[in-house]
Amino acid sequence: MLAMDADLLALLTTFKVASLTTLILLLLGTPIAWFLAKMNSRFKVILEAIVALPLILPPTVLGFYLLLAFSPQSLPGQLWQQGTGQQLAFSFSAIIIGSVLYSLPFVVQPLQKAFEQLGDHLLEAGAVLGAGPIDRFFHIVLPLTKASFITAASLGFAHTVGEFGVVLMIGGNIPGETRVLSIALFDHVEAFNYTKAHLLAGGLLIGSMILLALIYLINYQPKQVRR
Amino acid sequence: MSILSLNLICKLDHFTLQINQTLELKGITGIYGHSGSGKSTLLRIIAGLNNHAVGQLSFNELSLQSNSLKNNNLQKKAIFIPPQKRNFSLVFQDSRLFPHLNVRENLIFAAKRCKNSQLNLDDVIKLTELSPLAEKPVTILSGGEQQRVALARAILAEPELLLLDEPLSALDQKSKTNILQLLKNIQNQLNIPMLYVSHSLDELQQVADKLMVISQGEVINFGAIHQVIHQLNFQTDNQTSYQQTSLSLPIKMDNEQPQNNHGLATLSLDDGQEIYLPLHLLPDTLQAKTLETEKIQPETIHSKTIPSKTIKNKKSHNQLTLRCFILASDISLCKTESNNSSIVNHLVGVISKILITDHNVLVTINCAEQEFFASISSFSLDRLALKPEQTIYMQFKASAVRTFIH
Repeated sequence: MLAMDADLLALLTTFKVASLTTLILLLLGTPIAWFLAKMNSRFKVILEAIVALPLILPPTVLGFYLLLAFSPQSLPGQLWQQGTGQQLAFSFSAIIIGSVLYSLPFVVQPLQKAFEQLGDHLLEAGAVLGAGPIDRFFHIVLPLTKASFITAASLGFAHTVGEFGVVLMIGGNIPGETRVLSIALFDHVEAFNYTKAHLLAGGLLIGSMILLALIYLINYQPKQVRR
Repeated sequence: MSILSLNLICKLDHFTLQINQTLELKGITGIYGHSGSGKSTLLRIIAGLNNHAVGQLSFNELSLQSNSLKNNNLQKKAIFIPPQKRNFSLVFQDSRLFPHLNVRENLIFAAKRCKNSQLNLDDVIKLTELSPLAEKPVTILSGGEQQRVALARAILAEPELLLLDEPLSALDQKSKTNILQLLKNIQNQLNIPMLYVSHSLDELQQVADKLMVISQGEVINFGAIHQVIHQLNFQTDNQTSYQQTSLSLPIKMDNEQPQNNHGLATLSLDDGQEIYLPLHLLPDTLQAKTLETEKIQPETIHSKTIPSKTIKNKKSHNQLTLRCFILASDISLCKTESNNSSIVNHLVGVISKILITDHNVLVTINCAEQEFFASISSFSLDRLALKPEQTIYMQFKASAVRTFIH
């Protein structure tokens, strides 16, 4: 029964990590996506490449460098320790930071594409009607790119649930803090506990399937017939 | 009256827009130029949507933009008021309605952001004839309907200056006529100064009181509409407009019985001479009235002196006039009066000027305090031996009187 509880705890940790990561990604990714969409400079490609890097980089590479950065011997790790009094490596905060970086392209890219497609025309129309930048974002941009926000949030969430390498490198395996589902699954397989592995693997598979189906359902628009 | 003062330079792809002009804005001021002359850019600079220009821009002494190329520290800080704070509305060529809002919601978007709203939403919907469309999604509207919504939305922002950027260029002829009439009604009832940019002289001839002509980024002419259009006649390199006589004449209302007017309406010149034209050129409301030979209902106008800005009908005793034009190529000249011609319009005048370019001759004729322009061939000039001060008879068909080139 205890083992079952450990899996439930891992599920809970995963949910917490994914939710918080998604929230941070939306707050962080929206301005980045906006900036990239409106940017008109040759440096844009470099920034785009940096954002897209986690798409192709093995998660262990990202995890490795983050681990070095988070260690108390390096500056970011030191600063963190001075600020919070806690070690950054192998902490819940560490896997949140790692997840945010790792899932960044999944949030930034759909949003950037949506902002680019939206263009400036309607924003200009809003401006001449007296709407300031914040007003324009909430009353023109947001309603018109709602679907992309849902896609971005869902992809960010799902991708964070599915991560393994980064968490393993920087989070370790602390129950209730950094032990997420994918790591719990790995533990079961290593222990030849295939029943439990099946439960977790099957659960993740079906859960992800449902989540993706929901995204596509929300974004599905029946072809409009012009009457 | 509002005063817009411009002293701006803006580098464009092929030339530099260079405008130094103070505009007294009353009624509708047209800005005319061919495509790529910089007129739309100018409008965007005024609206605050283009911040590449350098110089001074002020509206009623309020500085909207003030900067210079060399922004040294000694200079006053550069000023650039963003578009949302300028209280100008802009109607774009492509409507730019918000697709996630229906017609009414689009209008509310503007009304909600209007600082001291005095216009009633339903009054504006009525004025722009949008009542049947109010609850429809904007995406299913026709081009003309969309532009009517855009116009209503712009009015509801209650701007101090309404900017119109080629508002008719994407529309069919019928919608164009509709929107032009609507613009005149809005101007009459709300008295908002407007800057109307267009590459179509016909459009501007119908609605503008003053005209500014822009070419290669510079103002080459500015003045009263008919006068400026007439000056364009003498620009021999002008490829974009026709040589024409532009007129604003009172409509003669005491017509005979409808069966006797032969589908013609009459305009009066100062000296009692008359011009006949097809009745269908009059606005729809007038056509009906002329047919009924009723006394005309005074046009509804609105005066700014009315404290509340709500739309009210105010009776006026203004004589109804029609804006129309006659192409110089449609007028023929005759040294004697012709009595047995099927051509209905015969006017007598005095030649004031003869301009010869290659084999084309532009003859200016003074007739009833009004300049008329006829283009004839150099062959005819020689044959008739025309000279200034000579009395001449002009002839043109009723159908040569136009309000629009169809």
